[in-house]
Amino acid sequence: MTALLKIEWLKIKKYPAFWWMLGIVTLTYPGINLMFFNVYDNITKGKEMANNIAKMLLGNPFAFPETFHTVAYFSSFFVLLPAILVIMLITNEYQYRTHRQNIIDGWSRYQFIGSKLIDVAIISSIVTLVFISVAIGFGIYADELSWNRWAEQLQYIPLFFLQTFAQLSIAFLLGYLVKKAFIALGIFLFYYLIIENILVGFLKLKQIPIGRFLPFEMSDGILVAPAFVGKFGDKAKEGYELALTLVYQQVIGTIILTALIWFICFKVHQKRNLA
Amino acid sequence: MHAILSINGISKAYGSIQALKNVSLEIPKGSVFGILGPNGSGKTTLMSIVLDILKADSGSYSWFNQPNHPTVRKRIGTLLETPNFYHYLSAVDNLNITNAISGRGSAAAIDEVLEIVKLTERKKSKFSAYSLGMKQRLAIGAALLGNPEILLLDEPTNGLDPVGIAEIRELIIRLAQKGITIIIASHLLDEIEKICSHVAILKRGNLLTTGTVDEVLSNEDIIELSAANLSGLKKCIQEMGGFSSIKELENRIQVFYPIGTANMEALNQHCFNKGITLNLLLHKKKSLETKFFELTND
Repeated sequence: MTALLKIEWLKIKKYPAFWWMLGIVTLTYPGINLMFFNVYDNITKGKEMANNIAKMLLGNPFAFPETFHTVAYFSSFFVLLPAILVIMLITNEYQYRTHRQNIIDGWSRYQFIGSKLIDVAIISSIVTLVFISVAIGFGIYADELSWNRWAEQLQYIPLFFLQTFAQLSIAFLLGYLVKKAFIALGIFLFYYLIIENILVGFLKLKQIPIGRFLPFEMSDGILVAPAFVGKFGDKAKEGYELALTLVYQQVIGTIILTALIWFICFKVHQKRNLA
Repeated sequence: MHAILSINGISKAYGSIQALKNVSLEIPKGSVFGILGPNGSGKTTLMSIVLDILKADSGSYSWFNQPNHPTVRKRIGTLLETPNFYHYLSAVDNLNITNAISGRGSAAAIDEVLEIVKLTERKKSKFSAYSLGMKQRLAIGAALLGNPEILLLDEPTNGLDPVGIAEIRELIIRLAQKGITIIIASHLLDEIEKICSHVAILKRGNLLTTGTVDEVLSNEDIIELSAANLSGLKKCIQEMGGFSSIKELENRIQVFYPIGTANMEALNQHCFNKGITLNLLLHKKKSLETKFFELTND
């Protein structure tokens, strides 16, 4: 395990795309949250009645302890960025034919896929660390009176990690099976941004309640929208509370789907000709 | 001499194309073993199977008489088909990965092999900036890293200039003298003949022959003779008999005898007694190239 980690680090540490991704994520995660924070700030900072009502209704989603929930939700929109890196890391192995060389040099086929599992875990951990930093940053900045509540919603850290790891695993599976970077990226983006959204909309329209079991919806259901969303009327409240009760199922489903993805990769790689 | 690699009845098909048909052979420890064959004969497929890159449809193999395990490959320095390295990394960084995976070598050993393959000056350049010859030399360097017990080289002289080819030949001879087993696939028959102790010849997935170079080449004695009176010489040989065939060339004749039956002294005496003075009498060895074409031509 440590040896695999060390070798993957040797491969990644001088890979320019890795540092570009890290740089972009480091800018994007605070950026998107800052945007929503400014919207919140503009709505609530005045002394008018409307501002006070908004403040009462919304609370402060960026103060402790809500910051972990809010920042996790908004940051999760940008899983595309690390997904591109994950796809590049596996398709590079095919392009350079190092997926063969690693085996020739003495790795087992399990070790090769294991090393990629470590890559996805490393990237998910880095993204989670950026998320934690941003959440803490907003928590400290937004309201110093709530600092003492910093530990109340820490469950969003493992939930964010699980969602990121699950969605990056889907990206990995695509890259692993398709082998070509641009085709895999194209399919990933097309499915993630268009196909699944159409499917979810269609299933909702037809009142077939299986939309939440689609690959990305499954893990999207782990991080429900911030609490203030449920304060805009009875229907919103009902929807929010239902989503909260389903989190447990979504977590189980995500773990099963992710385990299945890696099981497929390990099994296919064991039998595949490494052409 | 016991086998370092035993291959037993390996077959492999790509769809309707049968790449290997029930191939069995043994590679003795300490040998320089050449695997020859025209394009598409199955050389690379065979090497890929014994390195677990491809899965055989049937048959088995074993290295060092041990059950197959990835750790066995750590003892083999390999160059298979093309140099496979991370394009964005330097020679040293790439060899660090080879070292970390295989456990062969050290930082000092990396410098040593880069010196052997003459890449020391460019050791910090990215692989993507290398010429074809430099990439090939780096792949040879990676195979040599940490003094493996076996070297498996598939077309090692690809992309090298004549000086580079000669250097690699000398290197292989030096390594063979140290007792390293070397398995080499090449189209360069002349090179193979110069360095190999054993050969196997494949054609369309069939193993045509295998053994020591002398065994493979010497299935008959070839005597080359010439005299001023070439037609008289031919008549004289025919009278003597014992041969399997005679071939008339421009200014000499070649007489083929079953292996071990040619007697040059008796031939000379016979011709002399018949009044024919030979100006050429030579026991000729068949070249590997001749043998190769004999076996592989339809």
